[in-house]
Amino acid sequence: MPDKMHTLDLGSPDFVEGTARVVEITGTLAWLEPEQTTSCGHCAASAACGAKGLGTIANRIAARRFALTDHPGLRVGERVVVGIRSDALVKAALTAYAIPLCTLFLGGGLAQWVWGQDGTTIMGAVAGLFLGLGAARLGAARLFAGGTSAPRFLRRVGPADCQPALK
Amino acid sequence: MQEYLLLMVGAILVNNVILARFLGLCSFMGVTTRVDTAMGMGLATTFVITVSSMLNWAAQAYLLEPFGLGYLRTVVFILVIAGAVQFTEMTVRKVSPPLFQMLGIYLPLITTNCAVLGVALLLIEGRMSFIESTVFAFASSLGYSLVMVIFAGLRERLALAEIPRLFAGPPIGFITAGLLALAFMGFSGISTV
Repeated sequence: MPDKMHTLDLGSPDFVEGTARVVEITGTLAWLEPEQTTSCGHCAASAACGAKGLGTIANRIAARRFALTDHPGLRVGERVVVGIRSDALVKAALTAYAIPLCTLFLGGGLAQWVWGQDGTTIMGAVAGLFLGLGAARLGAARLFAGGTSAPRFLRRVGPADCQPALK
Repeated sequence: MQEYLLLMVGAILVNNVILARFLGLCSFMGVTTRVDTAMGMGLATTFVITVSSMLNWAAQAYLLEPFGLGYLRTVVFILVIAGAVQFTEMTVRKVSPPLFQMLGIYLPLITTNCAVLGVALLLIEGRMSFIESTVFAFASSLGYSLVMVIFAGLRERLALAEIPRLFAGPPIGFITAGLLALAFMGFSGISTV
């Protein structure tokens, strides 16, 4: 019998955390750029790894710049830990990917059922995909309307946030 | 319909892309520290595998096979996958910038995910029709997502457990992955696909 019981705390709001650097302050808004470029932990082959995608890393990070309104007097150059609600992450992934996939299959299946040829099935699937992307746009606008899904300031980066590299 | 169902069961459980074919292992170990991020990665990969498999099937049927360019298959497929990932990234960015800020992190990882290329090559090898190949690709990616989420759940529990110091971190992760693969071997024989 273990001397202490480990439990998952399911009641408190759960955040997916990431570090970001303040790059600009405009009025009450603090503009931040995420430091992490990939969600893998990086490895010895990171210099040659394609996980950074096409284009330069700087371009890709700049494209993901975001603003914080509820910050406690941040200054340019500061490193902070920001978080998004984990349920918002799952909802966003479902909105962006599950809706277009469903309509893709609906369009393809319908075309296959009516015409029964590969060419028309492809066209039906593509039409369904674009229809789904339109629906995803509406869903995303609804998801982010309340502001609860936006990234929020959690804390300034401290020693506890710097993990040693694996050896 | 039964044929498609068997194809799906086979691709999800019996010939699971991670635990039976050993594809996509880097993301399997790298993005499974939390269930939420594993789910995000799984959904993004499902979308990309399905779309790129459709495009790869079309490239094989209408370009490579008629013109006898089969020897260029791998190169063409890699290009198609990279294009599909970039298309997805641009679309998500255009459709909703906040979504892109949240999910853009997963997309570059998928470019180098060998599961995407592996599934495309498998469906060409299986000489499947368009609808069969799309169902197979979708089911394979569902299997990938299922294992990612299960493994992330196990790792979340392991993070709270008392583990001997020598096994903490990746070693216990690899042991758990091995046990999970053994568990999935129990599905062998329920489908012939």
